[in-house]
Amino acid sequence: MMDTPQVLFKNRHVDRIATRDEYEAGGGYEALKRVLAEEARDEVQAAIKEALLLGRGGAAFPMGIKLSTVAEDAPFPRYLVCNADEMEPGTFKDRVLLHTDPHQLIEGMVLAAFAIQAAKGIVFIRPEYENAARILEREVALARKAGYLGEKILGSEFSFDIDVHRSGGRYICGEVTAQLNALMGRRPNPQQPPPYPTESGLWGQPTVLQNVETLCCVPHIVRNGATWFKGLALTEAGAGTKIFPVSGRVNRPGCYELPMGIRLSAIIEEHAGGMLPGSEFKACLPGGASTRFLTREHYDIPMDFASLKEAGHRLGTGAIMVFDHKTCMVAATLNLMEFFTRESCGWCTPCREGLPYIRDMLRRIENGRGEEGFIPILEQMSRQLWNAYCAFAPGAVSPLESLLTFFGDEVREHISARKCPFGNAPGGPSDNR
Amino acid sequence: MTIGLNAMPKLTIDNRSVEVPPGTKVIAAAEQLGIQIPHFCYHPALGAVGACRVCAVKVLEGSVKGIQMSCMLEARDGMVVSTTDADAVAFRQSVIEWLMLNHPHDCPVCDEGGHCLLQDMTVSGGHGLRRYRGNKRTHRDQYLGPLVQHEMNRCIQCYRCVRYYREFTGYDDLGVMGIGSRVYYGRFEEGVLASPFAGNLIDICPTGVYTDKPSRFKGRRWDFERTPSLCIHCSLGCHMTVSARYREVVRHEARFNPVVNGHFICDRGRFAYPYASSPERPREAQIDGRPVAGQLAVTTAAERLATVAGQHQPAAVAVAGSARCSLETLAVLVRICQEAGWRGPVCFEERRTARAVSTAVGCLTSTLAFSLQAIAAADSVLLAGVDPLHEAPMLALALRQARRKGAVIVVADPRPVNLPFDFQHLPLASAQIGPWLDRLAGDIPESDMPSAAIARRLRESERPVIVAGTDVLSTAAVVQAADLAAALGANGKSAGLCYALPGANAFGAALLAKNPDSLEQVVEAIENGQVKALILVESDLCQRFPDQARLERALAQLDLLVVLDYTASPAVAAAHVFLPTATVYEAGGLFINNEGRVQQALVAMRGGTPISQIGQGDHPPRAFRKDIPGAGPRPAGDLLGDLAAAVIGAPDASEAPSPLAGLAESHPTLAALTAASIPPEGRLVLADDPGRRVLPSADEPNTHAADTGEGLELIWTDRIFGSEPLAALAPALQERQEGDTLFMARGDAAAWELADGDRVVIGPEASPWELAVRVVDNMAAGTIVLPRLPGWQRCGLTRNRVQRDAIRKRS
Amino acid sequence: MLPDEMKTQLEQKIAATDHPRELVVDVIFAMQDHYGYLSDAAVTEAAALVGMTTVEVDELATFYPFIYREPVGRYVIHVCDSVVCWMGGHESLQNHLMQRLGIAMGETTADGLFTLLPVCCIGYCDRAPAILINKKVYGELTPEKLDGIIARLRDEAGA
Repeated sequence: MMDTPQVLFKNRHVDRIATRDEYEAGGGYEALKRVLAEEARDEVQAAIKEALLLGRGGAAFPMGIKLSTVAEDAPFPRYLVCNADEMEPGTFKDRVLLHTDPHQLIEGMVLAAFAIQAAKGIVFIRPEYENAARILEREVALARKAGYLGEKILGSEFSFDIDVHRSGGRYICGEVTAQLNALMGRRPNPQQPPPYPTESGLWGQPTVLQNVETLCCVPHIVRNGATWFKGLALTEAGAGTKIFPVSGRVNRPGCYELPMGIRLSAIIEEHAGGMLPGSEFKACLPGGASTRFLTREHYDIPMDFASLKEAGHRLGTGAIMVFDHKTCMVAATLNLMEFFTRESCGWCTPCREGLPYIRDMLRRIENGRGEEGFIPILEQMSRQLWNAYCAFAPGAVSPLESLLTFFGDEVREHISARKCPFGNAPGGPSDNR
Repeated sequence: MTIGLNAMPKLTIDNRSVEVPPGTKVIAAAEQLGIQIPHFCYHPALGAVGACRVCAVKVLEGSVKGIQMSCMLEARDGMVVSTTDADAVAFRQSVIEWLMLNHPHDCPVCDEGGHCLLQDMTVSGGHGLRRYRGNKRTHRDQYLGPLVQHEMNRCIQCYRCVRYYREFTGYDDLGVMGIGSRVYYGRFEEGVLASPFAGNLIDICPTGVYTDKPSRFKGRRWDFERTPSLCIHCSLGCHMTVSARYREVVRHEARFNPVVNGHFICDRGRFAYPYASSPERPREAQIDGRPVAGQLAVTTAAERLATVAGQHQPAAVAVAGSARCSLETLAVLVRICQEAGWRGPVCFEERRTARAVSTAVGCLTSTLAFSLQAIAAADSVLLAGVDPLHEAPMLALALRQARRKGAVIVVADPRPVNLPFDFQHLPLASAQIGPWLDRLAGDIPESDMPSAAIARRLRESERPVIVAGTDVLSTAAVVQAADLAAALGANGKSAGLCYALPGANAFGAALLAKNPDSLEQVVEAIENGQVKALILVESDLCQRFPDQARLERALAQLDLLVVLDYTASPAVAAAHVFLPTATVYEAGGLFINNEGRVQQALVAMRGGTPISQIGQGDHPPRAFRKDIPGAGPRPAGDLLGDLAAAVIGAPDASEAPSPLAGLAESHPTLAALTAASIPPEGRLVLADDPGRRVLPSADEPNTHAADTGEGLELIWTDRIFGSEPLAALAPALQERQEGDTLFMARGDAAAWELADGDRVVIGPEASPWELAVRVVDNMAAGTIVLPRLPGWQRCGLTRNRVQRDAIRKRS
Repeated sequence: MLPDEMKTQLEQKIAATDHPRELVVDVIFAMQDHYGYLSDAAVTEAAALVGMTTVEVDELATFYPFIYREPVGRYVIHVCDSVVCWMGGHESLQNHLMQRLGIAMGETTADGLFTLLPVCCIGYCDRAPAILINKKVYGELTPEKLDGIIARLRDEAGA
């Protein structure tokens, strides 16, 4: 197995978290101590920007640029929200990070808050991660005791504290404006800017929202520098390492911290133990359910944001779900559509009604009652859902669109054979629930 | 080329150019070109949210290109937009198809048909056959009250209803539950919608989810005769459209008017029409209780009036109109009184009302008078002695829109005023309000809080408005309100003044009536034997006169009571001669609203008994006749013209061609006013400088002196449902009437050993009036507030103060 | 009615925050934990505590999958049906549960012990197929393991 630097997973134990002491012993909180003592706010922001740290929650937005959109004279109070909603199917890296090294996240949050002078941090965590929520609450209290949180941290002028907020559920809460609405006790429908959250977010105040993994990178960048971070990647355009949650038809599903730009084939064969006995690689989703299928043709693709974008795909969360030759891609896509349809918040028409329509057609195709005429409708609608209100719908139709592009034959076989060639049993008549 | 900050962007839509004010959205710019872009969630009053995605256009040139939502997209200079681009058309077609996925095939049984935005968009979008094979989701409906019907299967989830209900009206019992395509709009539990503006849901819903319940299934939209008309149930004069069919008024809808009511009307006005088609409505002339031909009644009335005038003197005949008489009717009344020497016309029930209203009218000038549209744009509002939600509901809604934009609103009123937004309430006693307004206009020491802060804010604001009522305030306070507004408007600042007046044409009545005369004084004159005959014309005065027993005694003393009306008031039953008049639906009319705006209601239908009432299971009737049954009622102005001709002779050819024109000399602001000359936005009839009809008060008791006698100060107050007599006849609105409640401040209630929720009885044992006690913290101490709800005139509380023994606790 | 101690605790938390609405989901969960599900009365109570209207609370309660507006069993079993658990055989697990418990998805056993509901990806894809029972995760399941879990829970309930 290739020797890969373990940065975020430096303190990883098999079945327990790294304690605060262990984190400190490994150099944790040093970055924080230094920048507070040196009042080096600008350095934090500059380092993050130069390190080309892209958001690891799916949208890949440069964190440094986001921080810089909080104007110097923006009003107070300001908020930092950590997005621990992690509901993208196939994604479990944030869960693992929270169970591995919670203080890494805490330090990352304090540093990020320091950069924008936020006084309050909130970890927005999905209800299914109740265990992680309790761990976080406990470790936040320990961090506070050690003086890393609270009033005038470590003798500086900077005050900051963290609340853990449990969500009620729902995938849409992972979207930034929807999450802010959820925090404010409103229905979590997304809200198109303007204004942007960094200008007017939580309670109308400047708010920065970042994914768990992204924030976990921050202490390392500040401690070791932007150049070091960029150097961790295997590609020119990549920066840092990535936690890849691998699942599906592989021998060793799990979370792997690997350099950005590592080839997909290496991830699967060298780290995830290769395909299960009797399984051949057919396709994978590279970054969660809202990405397009990669096929054998992409098997060696370097896994970083830029390479996938160039190829017309998306790295998203980096959650790799591996499908084998025995898996029906129509059925897999149908499963994904069932997920998206159920999670649609119901605000805009294309998503709310278009997804059930698409699901209905896929159900019929999978159940052997599909028609040739469905295909142009599916193609048209998968294009049209890009004009919905938020990024949910375009994500929802990404698997579908790639199904039609790369597995069109499989679809047509379902239709002409009037059954699923992979032997999936037909279901009942399509209902609209 | 540089574009200035306030330059008007010029853009191209479908190859046609249009210049629009900055901030205009593309959908509104297109409308100026006559291009109607399909839309559902967008509404000019609610703004744009971009949810339905139907208004898609393609931007060919601009900072954002491609498919965009025209309701969210701001028009920019140089933008090139196409509504006909193939992608945009295809996308809109898909959106329509998606919206129709779950839509039930209800058109054959849905009231919305024919005026359904969904129908219009679907048909014009080319959607016909259904190709989606899945099932439709269904919902259970809720009972939402007597006014609004709920049918959720039809919903297309445009979110208009909750945005309107919660954001625009400020009520919070309607919400959106569920997720995805199961999203559901309704209440937490079934029950009457609390907002008195809920009826607008009917207009605003683009499909048939919310429909007009009282008019449900009465007919198809295209079967109705629809006419622009006015609401006559308060002084605001909101615009609405009347639907009539088979000689019956079937429905009201809100009609857009940018200056007065905007897009909406209140529920009182919307559902008030049943009085016009009620089986109880008197349609036949009567002499001494016997039905007679109309002409005979006119000549008999004329003869008897002449007799009385001859036996005593012309002034022994008194004439009373009301604030619901049209301008034409009032004009004839004025002429008759002048030429016959009769007393009047009086149009208000109490002397203080007559004085207050005519003073208010005199204080309104063309610079000061603010419309509802202007009030909605105010940044600071002070309300003095007015309870908008009950006295002039759409005023409350306009105030809310001002509040939403950040206006600060202060209310000085002794009553427990409630409004659908947060405001500062000063529960001053009514006698204190005038002097307080006076203080605000002068120098107040900073220590005098909160008055100093209020005064400062008014002075520093850019568009302050003073709103005052005429029900609770003294005449002096009415003037002080105007003085404050004028002071704020000095130095060219835009300051506004608005009065809530007691009736649709109260302004007109105050202009034309003989002031300061009132029914109260006429009753005194009857009691003194000076007045022997009384003519009541469409007069609510009997229904608003506080002491019913006294009035009945007075009427009994008369030699002659002549009544003209279109509704069966108790006076009709007591009349010696009764002449049925036409309603505003049959006669039309000009009415002057509280702003001084003359507006016109058009004739909506021909008179006559509704066909539904004459068929008796035998429609059409087998016996043929040449006349329309029940078509006896005629416009009051015409009847009075005939009466005038009989009494004083037919008008000279050299005289004014119409009663209205005849007013020109005495009322210059009404000169050149004919029905034909009223434009859609109405016509303001305000003086340029204050007339200030402040009337001498030497011989009249100031009923609002700081009276500190025994007991509590009595304040009669209107309630939105039940006080206006015409609307109170509507069965659906009777269901909306609140229970009879009296309000007391906490300290007073404790002193009188009354608790919140106690049931008490007021009035004679023969006809007791039972009420519930509400103890509140937001009203003036030393007062007791009683509602003008049916029965209020019989309770015998005729003085300004109420003593403890007048209220008996129910055991 | 909530026990006084619980109510006081919630009231204190609410009083300590700048924005009570931030806590509405926490309050709802607290009520749900106490009452077993979020009944109409519980909605009313929650609304009063946080200073929102009943419909505002219901707007949220009906949006979220972990808030139950109908009675549920003592143990709410959420079976993940997203794509990795689907590959891992969630359907057969689901069928096994339905058969063992004698109920369909969405139903509760007659003894009030178990409710079966679907759930979307719970983030345990490396241990697929996985389920949640009262927010506790059980992964790498087989029908035998499921039987063991159900039996243990029955014991726990009986004890």
